[in-house]
Amino acid sequence: MKGAVSQIWAGLLSIVLGCVIILAAAGADAAESESVSNPAVTARLISAENGIAPDAASVSLGLALEYGEGWKGYWRTPGEVGLAPEINWSGSTNLKSAELLWPAPERFEAFGIENFGYSGQVVLPIRARLEDAGQPLELRARVSLLTCSTVCVPHDFELSLALPQGVGIDTNSARQIATYADRVPAVPENSDIRISVTALDARDSALIVVATSDTPFDEVDVFPEFGPLVTFGKPDIRLDRDRTELWAQIPINAWTEEHAEPSVTIADTARAITAPITLTSDPPAPPFSSANPRTSLLKVVAVAAIAFLGGLILNVMPCVLPVLSIKLTSVLKATGQTRQMTRNGFLFSALGVLAFVWALAAVLLFLQWIGVSVGWGMQFQNPVFVTLMFMVITVFAANLFGAFEITLPAALQDRLGASNARAGYISDFGTGLLAAILATPCSAPFLGTAITFALAGTSLDVIVIFTALGLGLALPYLVIAARPELVTRLPRPGRWMLLVRILLGGLLLATAAWLLFVLVGVAGGRAAAFITSLTAVFIVAASIPQANQWVRRAVLSACVFLAIFGAGLTSTPDRTTPGVDATSHWQDFEPLGIARRVSEGETVFVDVTADWCLTCKANKSLVLDRDPVRARLRGGSVIAMQADWTRPDDNIARFLERYDRYGIPFNIVFGPGSPSGIALPEILTPQAVLDALDTASVRSLVSE
Amino acid sequence: MTIGAVIAGYAALRTVPSLLPEKLELEALDRPKGFRRFIAGETSGSFDAFVGLDSPDSVDVAARKAAAIERVSADICGALYGDLDMSNARIPLASFSDYYCPFCRVQTKSFADMTSKMPDQVAIAWHELPLLGDSSNLAAKAALAAKRQGAYVAFQERLMTSPFQATPEYLARLSEDLGVDGEQLVADMESPEVARELENSAALAQVFAFVGTPALVIGRTVVQGQVSDRMIRKIIDLEREEGWDLACVSA
Repeated sequence: MKGAVSQIWAGLLSIVLGCVIILAAAGADAAESESVSNPAVTARLISAENGIAPDAASVSLGLALEYGEGWKGYWRTPGEVGLAPEINWSGSTNLKSAELLWPAPERFEAFGIENFGYSGQVVLPIRARLEDAGQPLELRARVSLLTCSTVCVPHDFELSLALPQGVGIDTNSARQIATYADRVPAVPENSDIRISVTALDARDSALIVVATSDTPFDEVDVFPEFGPLVTFGKPDIRLDRDRTELWAQIPINAWTEEHAEPSVTIADTARAITAPITLTSDPPAPPFSSANPRTSLLKVVAVAAIAFLGGLILNVMPCVLPVLSIKLTSVLKATGQTRQMTRNGFLFSALGVLAFVWALAAVLLFLQWIGVSVGWGMQFQNPVFVTLMFMVITVFAANLFGAFEITLPAALQDRLGASNARAGYISDFGTGLLAAILATPCSAPFLGTAITFALAGTSLDVIVIFTALGLGLALPYLVIAARPELVTRLPRPGRWMLLVRILLGGLLLATAAWLLFVLVGVAGGRAAAFITSLTAVFIVAASIPQANQWVRRAVLSACVFLAIFGAGLTSTPDRTTPGVDATSHWQDFEPLGIARRVSEGETVFVDVTADWCLTCKANKSLVLDRDPVRARLRGGSVIAMQADWTRPDDNIARFLERYDRYGIPFNIVFGPGSPSGIALPEILTPQAVLDALDTASVRSLVSE
Repeated sequence: MTIGAVIAGYAALRTVPSLLPEKLELEALDRPKGFRRFIAGETSGSFDAFVGLDSPDSVDVAARKAAAIERVSADICGALYGDLDMSNARIPLASFSDYYCPFCRVQTKSFADMTSKMPDQVAIAWHELPLLGDSSNLAAKAALAAKRQGAYVAFQERLMTSPFQATPEYLARLSEDLGVDGEQLVADMESPEVARELENSAALAQVFAFVGTPALVIGRTVVQGQVSDRMIRKIIDLEREEGWDLACVSA
């Protein structure tokens, strides 16, 4: 027994020793050059074969590079600046040709300069042919390559490798070369990626690439190569729902007509293709929404917290304040309500708020699902919606000024079982609903972040975050529902109530005036005048006490009906009064010109605004149209672009989406110091704008 | 509570790194005497002395290089700072850059900005150190030729922001744009004076053992790579306190 154990041990030992010897031998024979090493890069020449087999006419080599932490090297097309590696083989013997293959690159962006290259480890496979098959090969490679971290260090060194006659594979080197050879983009015939369109969009100064794939795209990037005189900015890449169709728009930074053999490389996680292309001048429109990354649970919770806070803050924004007034009046009027009734009333208001955010979430998800771009507050781009809001608010204001009493239709009251309380709950619910609806154009601080996050995430993210937002917005109602006695602290009804009613009515009138202004922007002056007269008729009809019940009802219904259909019919197709006039320092919005202007050293300030966006208006009058910011924007050193989103505009929606925003106000500064843009907070301060302009712009080099 | 923590954490992430003090560590250089080097993390590693990308030198080129090294070694401060006017206690800066090195673009702009913001405190000497091949060489020569027509800064500014590689055609168009005599420019680009200026800058780079671009000498402190404006200001202050011309006196 003992003998058997020791025999096994001896056997094991000999196997282990054998392995060590084989490994050591492989090491000694390893088909690789000595390495050149410094903090930026370690370079070796490796060969898959240990020796040149009889009759072998070619050999697989590789330039193995390992870049130091923070260092990078360049692809065959380095980008705007940088330098591709080069190998000079003179001095080698028995080498007929050596072809360097290029694995798909990574995209680097530093200070606005797009570069393509490698970091970490990479092997550039080399296909070498021999002069005399089966004869030994002596390689002498003079390698020139550039590495950059915060400093660019050129390297110029020699690697030599001798491959005698013999057979044998250096498995380690062979594996490495094979791994990276797999990452060399395939030719079109060998790939399931097909480039169907490459078009030059002259108007937008961009290249459009459309491609399809049998297997879904994962992390995809597009690299056009048009020779050293043509450079491109960062692409805007979109995938369809099942990620098998790709549409990419790549801004052109520099262009010439002379380019010998243009090609496009599409690199996906584990595959790539390089295809020669033929340019057409018929760019297809962007079909899909952009690919969005998925997010973690922790982040959802954190963002939900932000949404809650954002909803809470919305209560004091100018949009929502008037609605609180409606609620407040109803409480003031309702004397002798029981504690329970007050509580339920406020609970119903809270429910109204939630019902709206849920409905909104559902609509947004549906629109997203059918592929329509969505945004926060976009319903204000719809003339019918604005019309209805205007009428509702105006009627409420008239009611507060005592023109008439709002009562629910008798039939509805009957059906609700004559219970006043229940009818009250419906109006409470409506109040909450109204508050939430009106809140949407005020994208309060924090809220932009949360909504943006939700719209970029999954359906569940949308529901969780919108619920959090609704809870925040409903918190004042929920607090009163929890402590109804707070209401009883209000003084007894009396003359003061009249004053409060007038004050609150004034607030509502101001809101109505704003909605009318929005309506002018959305539908034009003609439609606004039409809607205003209809609303006037509605109020007059409602406030004539002696009118026949049926006539009154017919007139009121006709007004609403005409308003809904009239708003659409009478609205003018284009804005007659664009927000940008000729004398202003604001220029028209040209998203694709931005990269080019920045590459020419200019600074671009973009303000995305809309008539219905109150925070935008506040930013404009408090910061943008006031010195020192106004002076800076007018000074000629900054190109100020204004994007008016009052009406739907795909270009603007896509621009927002590219910066992961779905709501406005959105202000962003581009410049040589910040080519990917410095996004400003929703609520601007002069200092924030000036700081961003300073960081983005680079002062003129004049005056030494 | 959660919200507070989230906000506080976010604020901390945004601000703390920029508040951490950068260390100003200096190391005396053996060569050239009297100068010292700013130790900046990754760039202070052990690189071979500066190599350049040109093919092995011919005897003629090697001799010219040796001559240039001798020339600049004889008067390092003169070669570095040329005829900068250092009255009014201005600290001299010598900037070495290549038009096709990404970080040079950023660093050069930041220096230009700095000199225009505090003209009483610093004066800058620009050195062309083209390391990145033909386009770099061409652009460097063009800038130096433009200098002969008083258009160095304008050329520099345009070349630094040009999104593509310099070609003779591009330079011709550029000179037209900037009102520079194109024929004169081409003639000057190939002139011995421009060649000599490039040789001097390359020799200085070799003397200071620069590993790449951008590189900078502030008074008697050598800085390699891109560093923050704040650090540069710190070094300028230090130079003023300690007397930057010590190196030039002892040289």
